[in-house]
Amino acid sequence: MIVCVAVVGHQNNPLYIQSFTEADDALKLHHIVHCSLDVVDERVNNPKKSGPMLNETFLGLLYPIENYKVYGYLTNTKVKFILVTTDLDVKDADVRNFFRRFHAAYVDAVSNPFHVPGKKITSRTFAERVSTIVKSFGFSSAG
Amino acid sequence: MEEYPEELRTPPVTLASLVGCPELHPLISTHLLSEQPPINTLALPDFSKISLFNKKVDPDSTATSPSPSLGILKRDWLLKHRTKLPSVLAVLFPAHHLAADPAYWLQLCSHLDFIKTVVRGRNIKFVIVVVIQTNADEISEDRMIALRKRAEVDAKHVVVLNPNDTSELKQTLHRHAHCGLHSLFFSALFKGTCFEFLTVVSWSRLASSISELAVAYYREEGRRIKQRIEKKNISSVELIVRYCFKVAVYAEFRSDWTEALKFYEEAYHTLREIVGVTTRLPAVQRLVEIKSISEQLHFKISTLLLHSGKVTEAVTWFRQHKNAYKRLVGAPEGIFLHWEWMSRQFLVFGELLETSSKIIQGISPIIQATSSKPLTEWEYYSAYYYQLAAHYLSEKRSALELTISMSETSNEIDNVADSVVPSVYVGQFTRLLEQGDKVDMLPLTDEEYIRYAVSEGKRFQDSLEIIVLLKKAYESFNSMKIQRVSSFCGFQMAREYFAEGDISNAKQIFDSIASLYRKEGWVTLLWNVLGYLRECSRKNGTIKDFVEYSLEMAALPISADTGVQRDSGPAGPANLRQREIVHNEVFELVGGASGLETNEHPSNLNITGDESLQLEVDLVSPLRLAMLASVAFHEQTIKPGTSTLITVSLLSHLPLTVEIDQLEIQFNQSKCNFFIANAKKTQSSNGIQQHRTETAPSLSLESKKWLRLTHDIQSDQSGKLECLSVIAKIGSHLTICCRADSPASLDSVPLWTLDGCVQTVPIKDPILVLSGQKSTQVEEPDPQVDLHLGASGPALVGEIFLVPVTLVSKGHDVYSGELKINLVDVKGGGLFSPRDSEPYATDSHHVQLLGISGPEGEDDSQLYSDKIKKIQQSFGLISVPILKNGDSWSCKLEIKWHRPKPIMLYVSLGYTPYCNELNAQSVHVHKHLQIEGQTAIVLNHYYLMPFRRDPLLLSKNKQASEFGQSESLPLNQKNVLIVSAKNCTELPLRLKSVSIEVEDDAEKTCSIQHGSEELLNPCLIVPGEEFKKIFLVSSNMNISKLKLGTVCLRWRRDLGVEEQSASTSTLSWVVTKQKLPDVNVELPPLIVSFECPPYAIVGDPFTYYIRISNQTQLLQEVKYSLADAQSFVLSGYHDDTVHVLPKSEHILSYKLVPLVSGMQQLPKFSMTSVRYSAAYQPSNSSNSVFVFPSKPHFKAAVSTNNRVESVANE
Amino acid sequence: MVREVSESCVDSLLTEMVACYCNRFYANKPELAARRIEAIGYQVGHQLSERYTMERPRFTDHLEAIKFICKDFWSELFKKQIDNLKTNHRGTFVLQDNKFRWLARMSVDPSIDNASSVEDNSAPTPENKAAQAMSMHLYFPCGIIRGALSNLGIPCAVSADISNLPACSFVVRIKA
Repeated sequence: MIVCVAVVGHQNNPLYIQSFTEADDALKLHHIVHCSLDVVDERVNNPKKSGPMLNETFLGLLYPIENYKVYGYLTNTKVKFILVTTDLDVKDADVRNFFRRFHAAYVDAVSNPFHVPGKKITSRTFAERVSTIVKSFGFSSAG
Repeated sequence: MEEYPEELRTPPVTLASLVGCPELHPLISTHLLSEQPPINTLALPDFSKISLFNKKVDPDSTATSPSPSLGILKRDWLLKHRTKLPSVLAVLFPAHHLAADPAYWLQLCSHLDFIKTVVRGRNIKFVIVVVIQTNADEISEDRMIALRKRAEVDAKHVVVLNPNDTSELKQTLHRHAHCGLHSLFFSALFKGTCFEFLTVVSWSRLASSISELAVAYYREEGRRIKQRIEKKNISSVELIVRYCFKVAVYAEFRSDWTEALKFYEEAYHTLREIVGVTTRLPAVQRLVEIKSISEQLHFKISTLLLHSGKVTEAVTWFRQHKNAYKRLVGAPEGIFLHWEWMSRQFLVFGELLETSSKIIQGISPIIQATSSKPLTEWEYYSAYYYQLAAHYLSEKRSALELTISMSETSNEIDNVADSVVPSVYVGQFTRLLEQGDKVDMLPLTDEEYIRYAVSEGKRFQDSLEIIVLLKKAYESFNSMKIQRVSSFCGFQMAREYFAEGDISNAKQIFDSIASLYRKEGWVTLLWNVLGYLRECSRKNGTIKDFVEYSLEMAALPISADTGVQRDSGPAGPANLRQREIVHNEVFELVGGASGLETNEHPSNLNITGDESLQLEVDLVSPLRLAMLASVAFHEQTIKPGTSTLITVSLLSHLPLTVEIDQLEIQFNQSKCNFFIANAKKTQSSNGIQQHRTETAPSLSLESKKWLRLTHDIQSDQSGKLECLSVIAKIGSHLTICCRADSPASLDSVPLWTLDGCVQTVPIKDPILVLSGQKSTQVEEPDPQVDLHLGASGPALVGEIFLVPVTLVSKGHDVYSGELKINLVDVKGGGLFSPRDSEPYATDSHHVQLLGISGPEGEDDSQLYSDKIKKIQQSFGLISVPILKNGDSWSCKLEIKWHRPKPIMLYVSLGYTPYCNELNAQSVHVHKHLQIEGQTAIVLNHYYLMPFRRDPLLLSKNKQASEFGQSESLPLNQKNVLIVSAKNCTELPLRLKSVSIEVEDDAEKTCSIQHGSEELLNPCLIVPGEEFKKIFLVSSNMNISKLKLGTVCLRWRRDLGVEEQSASTSTLSWVVTKQKLPDVNVELPPLIVSFECPPYAIVGDPFTYYIRISNQTQLLQEVKYSLADAQSFVLSGYHDDTVHVLPKSEHILSYKLVPLVSGMQQLPKFSMTSVRYSAAYQPSNSSNSVFVFPSKPHFKAAVSTNNRVESVANE
Repeated sequence: MVREVSESCVDSLLTEMVACYCNRFYANKPELAARRIEAIGYQVGHQLSERYTMERPRFTDHLEAIKFICKDFWSELFKKQIDNLKTNHRGTFVLQDNKFRWLARMSVDPSIDNASSVEDNSAPTPENKAAQAMSMHLYFPCGIIRGALSNLGIPCAVSADISNLPACSFVVRIKA
């Protein structure tokens, strides 16, 4: 189950962060998302470590912590997408698919002329779309 | 890791036992320990102690055990094999026991028999060591063989040892030859030092024997147990685990790491299988046992993997281990045991990783993207494990607290707990029941066990442990520059400190974290941290911090529900309501109401009496959120004394409206400071009357709305007027001092920019928003002094040109006035040309400021020489004396042109109109003037031959075509040099003299007549007129470069009507010099001279002589021709060739009859010297004669001098 | 799902936008108008680059990003690629479009073929007024390029050069 998704700007500022848990541990998830930025940095700055995944937008599993797994995605515009899930067994393809759809939703959201680049995404449409994508995570890989 | 027993932490070491000759035991032990691999020894003082090794009744060694085993691993098994049960027994006999007395031998034999029986039961190997004490000891071979047979050991396991011998090598050699015991002994050498070697050899022989046997022992033992596993008829799975463990340990004894690893893993997997199966123990304890054994196995596996450098495998293994047991939480009341166990797993693995990464340098984690579950970078960092260990430990703590709170009967727990001890099996506990002398071990129920565990758990201070773990992680991440995770660790750590009451530590860490969250705009996290910080300052009683943190919190961009509700620390839920609460709390505090006297918080925050709190908000302060000031002048420059408008805009992101009592606007010119008072709050403006106070109808600062105030302002002080800060007074105690910002450079407020709110601008005027500045330039007052530059006409090169400068004060007094003079090339180039190689530095300037002469009529040189502060070639500073209103002052600038060049003369006067130095407001007047520089006189010169006398100059002929060659003059002839000076200006000039200055060394080479004669009266040359002067030059030296000298011209401007009055002595003459080019002096081989009468009369014949004189020592053949002329009839040869003898003349004579009157050209003569093949034609000018129509009548003779002059003037 | 928009609409919109800012909002302040128009272009470029770089591996260096602008980005905008790309290898790139679509339908006074760059609008003499009006229209594409590159993490300054019409060169100077 996806417990949290986040969009983080190129200055590592949160643009959108939404948790999907019943339990009220948003703060902890914020911490987890924030910490994951360090892995993104490390992976991007030391490309030789990441080997064949060089320059791919999908960064893969960033790190496992406690009961969560954190996945990352870095767009060409240095915007990071973070996904936190509790699933133990996650298929890479599912995550990739998730991020692809999420990216599309993000692009549509920021293409709104009333959206100012670098500002938090407050669009309700975006939030709805994200929650749809989150709900369908793992069920369909066709997208 | 430290809490593990030593035998588990370190790899097992072979154990050997010694018996007999106890005095040698320490020596042997030390030696064996220093072996590689080391061997531990167990020294038995005498043979009777061997019975220790006697086999006890071992339940599991009886092949088919009657009852299922009570546990998996015995707690002491490993220790036993490492300290009690040797693999090899070394039996030491003194040599003389073999040799001498049969009684000894018998005793020896009985010992041997006893040992044999004991050892066989245990399968222990043994070695016989024969100790040679003295050199006298002789062991016969028979005895040795007998011994061997008796002991039933292989020959190589009987070792002769001489621990302290000896210098007598011979005997040793003999003995060894005799006994034939040890081949190595034969290599003994002849020097004392080598004895060491000999001993060592025998030592190493002993050690290798022992280790060889030990390996054999462990291998056999291992094999024995392995067979049991393979038989597959083992009653319980627990036994398989135990056997696998044992096999692995035996393999470790003999350093067979691969096999050890294999069996540890086998044991581990088997163990994992029995988790759900076994019912041997009550559930909680069963899980505890399994977990502690898996922990041991896992520890062993990880250690082995890491030691062999397989970091990735180790990490993967750990991940599996963690995942396999993560869900085995167990009964709810025992959850804390699970978390404790988990925490320990992470801690231990982290420690292992840390130590191994110290050994194995530079592990480079490579993420295998190919594998389905790739490892991540952090799983290679020990800090990651510490962090999680801390996390699980805190889980444990809360679980434990929960358990404690559920079981209230604490007193009796302690009684039970006292008697609980670890049982013989790993991971099991029993109750010790003492009944008199009898001690019984009773199994525990789960309930009892939990009680015991709880009481144990209470003894530990988990939070300290958590802090230690987090600190490790924090520092480690920090050192790797992984700042966000380290901040998170720091945050958790600070939270622990906070809970522990260590406020100063907590605050320090929270502060450093807050800055990161501020920087990156993680508002919810910042909110949380600030909440803690606020509580810290509340506890510390630092009211300023408290107010600052509170204001920042209240102003954070938290509008919608961020979802952070629970577990948010003292900050409370992050939402608008909470912000308002914080806001109200802080303003109540500073409002001076009563401090924060609530029931829960006996406040140490109080503002009393006159105390006031001033907050500084600079450009980087986080409090910019709470209040921000933007100031814009409406005009970029203002006149002094006139007023302009200034707009002060304030913005606050506090959730509620703030009522400001009074604003103070501060400028760099403190006279301009003013106050804006709130009309609603009438307050006595006490003692601030020296500054202007405006009143605004309302000063309420609404949330996220600019409060714009526009007032007029004026300044008398010229220069920059900048608004420094805006100080808001809120309530009686709080002032907030905001550094002023320009709207043009207004950085958007941090954090809020990221929020989706609409941004507003500080000023409505769109132009001012983009370009408004917080500072303006106050112009200086208009000057009331005239500066006049009175230069007339162009300047002439060479003369000292005077530019009169006049200052007339018209309304201002002039104090500390200063004139700045600057000469600038109009065309932009420099005024001097360093490339010109002129000898004097002054000449390198094309135009030069020479100096200044003071007001007319005064002796300038004395009075004002000191006033000229600085005169450079193109720049000067002149002090101006104090001038009263209406006074005037003047001076003259002396400027000299070296080149004809236009320049721009800039003169600026700076002065202050008041004598008060402090209020020095300088006023500036600028004037500039372009002055042309002109060349006054152009000098020219040319040479003429003597009249009708033309030498043949060969060089001239040759180089006729080439220009730029120096002119040639004939040797020993009088040449005429004509120098002309032309006035190129538009002014009349007076010429004093034209002379040729001959350089000293050139004096003898030539003679110049009329060289330095002065004119009697200075001669006036009108513009365009040319003045000529004639010199006679002759040289008698045949040199190619004759330096003639320099033409020197003395002149000045014509003074016009004043010319008469000016006395010649006082006027300075300008000297213009021009060097004459060098000339070539050569001997002409032929000179042609013409002779004819001074005039002719029409029809009257006359004789025209042409004299060709040969100057050389050679016969010269000359071809000549005389052309026909229309105005003459002539007789004689037209063409001919003549030979002229050396140093002689040939004269041609023609009779000519003029036909026409007037100036007539004589027939043209031309000749060619055959020898030099040089054609020659005399110049036209000298070849004419005036023909009178009839005979004239002259009154007087004409002076030759004038005739020459008139000819030259043509 | 490809949504398209009429080309003439875009042309009209651009013309109207420039006219609006130059003649109405900032009638006497061409610098401010230019800044506003450039800023609009910046946002457009910023958002378009977000969309057009989807499904594409990250660029490793500046050149890759510039090439992206020249090829894919330009194709998306103008249905053609940049015709010529030059660089001095020190952070300056010249992107030349031989027939820049947004200038193609603009009438040019044939007597004026002297150089006029966007940066240089100092002398409003009547004869280069046309060139100046044209350069006003170039702030928008300059802004687009700058916005796209900035969003790709390359801060830069972009100017346009129309010295040889109808070709148009965009000069990108990357800020160190």
